[in-house]
Amino acid sequence: MSSTWVIAGKELLDLRRDRLFAVLIGFLAIATLISVGVAAASFGTELDAYNLYVQQLAASGSTTAPAAPQLFPLQLLRGGVEYLEILGALFAIVLGYGTVAKEKYRGTLQLLLSRPVGRFAIPAGKVLGLAVVWLVVVAVLTLLTTLAILVIGSAPLQGIDLVRILIGAVVAWVYLVFWSSLAIGITALSPRLSTGLIVSIVVWLAFVLIIPQIGDTMDPDNQVPGGLFAALQIQKPDELKVLANFAAFDGIRNGLEVSSITKHFERLSFAFLGIKDKYNQLPLGLVWADMWGYAITLAAAAFASVTFAVGVTTRRNLQRKIS
Amino acid sequence: MNTFLVSARHEMLNTRRARTAHILLIVFIGMVIASSVIGWVTNETVTGVYEKVVADGLTTAPNPFAGVSPLYYARNAVIYVLLIGSLMAIVLGVQATLRDRKAATVDLVLSRPVATPARLLGQLAGLSVVLAAVITISFSVSWLIISIINGAPLGWDDTGRVIAFGLLSWVLLTIFALLGMLTGLRSKQETTALLVPFVIWSAVAFVLPQIGTAARPVSLLNPVPAVASTGGYFDVVSAFTGPLSVTEQFKFASSIILHDPNVTGEATVSILILLAFLIVMSVVVVLTPRNRMRSGLHE
Repeated sequence: MSSTWVIAGKELLDLRRDRLFAVLIGFLAIATLISVGVAAASFGTELDAYNLYVQQLAASGSTTAPAAPQLFPLQLLRGGVEYLEILGALFAIVLGYGTVAKEKYRGTLQLLLSRPVGRFAIPAGKVLGLAVVWLVVVAVLTLLTTLAILVIGSAPLQGIDLVRILIGAVVAWVYLVFWSSLAIGITALSPRLSTGLIVSIVVWLAFVLIIPQIGDTMDPDNQVPGGLFAALQIQKPDELKVLANFAAFDGIRNGLEVSSITKHFERLSFAFLGIKDKYNQLPLGLVWADMWGYAITLAAAAFASVTFAVGVTTRRNLQRKIS
Repeated sequence: MNTFLVSARHEMLNTRRARTAHILLIVFIGMVIASSVIGWVTNETVTGVYEKVVADGLTTAPNPFAGVSPLYYARNAVIYVLLIGSLMAIVLGVQATLRDRKAATVDLVLSRPVATPARLLGQLAGLSVVLAAVITISFSVSWLIISIINGAPLGWDDTGRVIAFGLLSWVLLTIFALLGMLTGLRSKQETTALLVPFVIWSAVAFVLPQIGTAARPVSLLNPVPAVASTGGYFDVVSAFTGPLSVTEQFKFASSIILHDPNVTGEATVSILILLAFLIVMSVVVVLTPRNRMRSGLHE
């Protein structure tokens, strides 16, 4: 077995024994399941309100009833996707940091470096190990949320829905590997281990929370509860016509959003899962035609992050740590 | 000088020397200042959108932003306080208590006739002064920018509201600094000490509000409140999760203080909840046993 595989195997064994890892993944799983349950409860409340309204209409002698709210099962995953983009990224950073930090804390780094390991074996093994871990975690989360849709949401799933969920899982895996690799690289470059963690968290804060938040709050439709255009009773085609006059502002707002890798993950997931209304029930080919650019940038970012981690995690950088 | 003052001064000196803390402080101050500009640009655009809609004859509804307070431009700052400010406070709190344990200086300090409550309260006071200074700098510049945008200095009423918002922000940040101090004192590993308060923060900021109102996690980062689900399950659950959602209580009270037209109600209960958290957290930290402060790290 090559050194890379040996180190990857060691990472898997370490994480299997790590209580912190179990707690983090457990928290993520519980938050994701809760989000499915809450979304199902919210739909139930909406349906109850509709039924009451229809009853009142019938009692008043009216024969016309408004369209009933319709449940699209995959839309129950919206909260779960958002948890992955925020908390998943944070936990990916923690795991990436931990793979480098533990070698120093335990004093195993010197032992590891005393063996005949190749230049790239240590970082590549660590990235590979984490990639396998995230593959397993994403697979388990996917299985749990699919079951939650069926059991908690009481929503039937078609074959195409399972394909969409699978695509969403692959996108999530690439996103999480991006963050873990970035944290490995930043920790390797930082002279102090705690600095590595804090700098990684600052990067997370900027790209996961702040930049998307600025874009979101600059959206004219997000200025009043329930949406500005809904409050003004303006239909979608008219809304688009009006907004066309503010293309420069929207360009800056969108530019800010897409400078964050998180938005690429979010838009891809929302499109393939049909969470965004525009893509709901749209054939996968048409979704891909609209989304391939995001898929490429996400993949390129993940590749760049892995290259960064492997490139900067050198013997010299690892050994110059202060504490 | 007594233990309390020495500890407070020492904490301020350490924060001044910590480079990682500086990164967060700069990001926080920068974003609070930028938030006024973002708010102004957005408001100008939305007013333009409304005027276009009216010119095209698409609505007769009144302008939802007519006559909004100049403080409306500061509403994004609410989000940056609970996002960046809280995380900054956590890092400062963790570093305050963990530093002594890592360097084993706590053994030296406690070998002197030092009362642990005085030592911990002194550290807390030092952190509180740092947080107050950061808030004062960022909100003063924010006040100036809003005055420039407004074309005149903010009046006494609005200035008072900015000060009240600053005080409330200080309360929230001190709560999270205390959380950081607590995990810095109780954790066996440095990673856990930093991570546990982040997990608690994310649970408080995202999970609790979602359970009680069905608000999407990302929408909680928007200063405009999401339309909450009500009735049945949500009424029962939000009665329990609402008071525990410290960040949502802060958002609500701040929006009232800043005259946000989208939020109505009384801020008193929310402010009392925040103060109750501050007192409880302070007591929990101050009552930390002496041997806990001296426990080593296992990493």
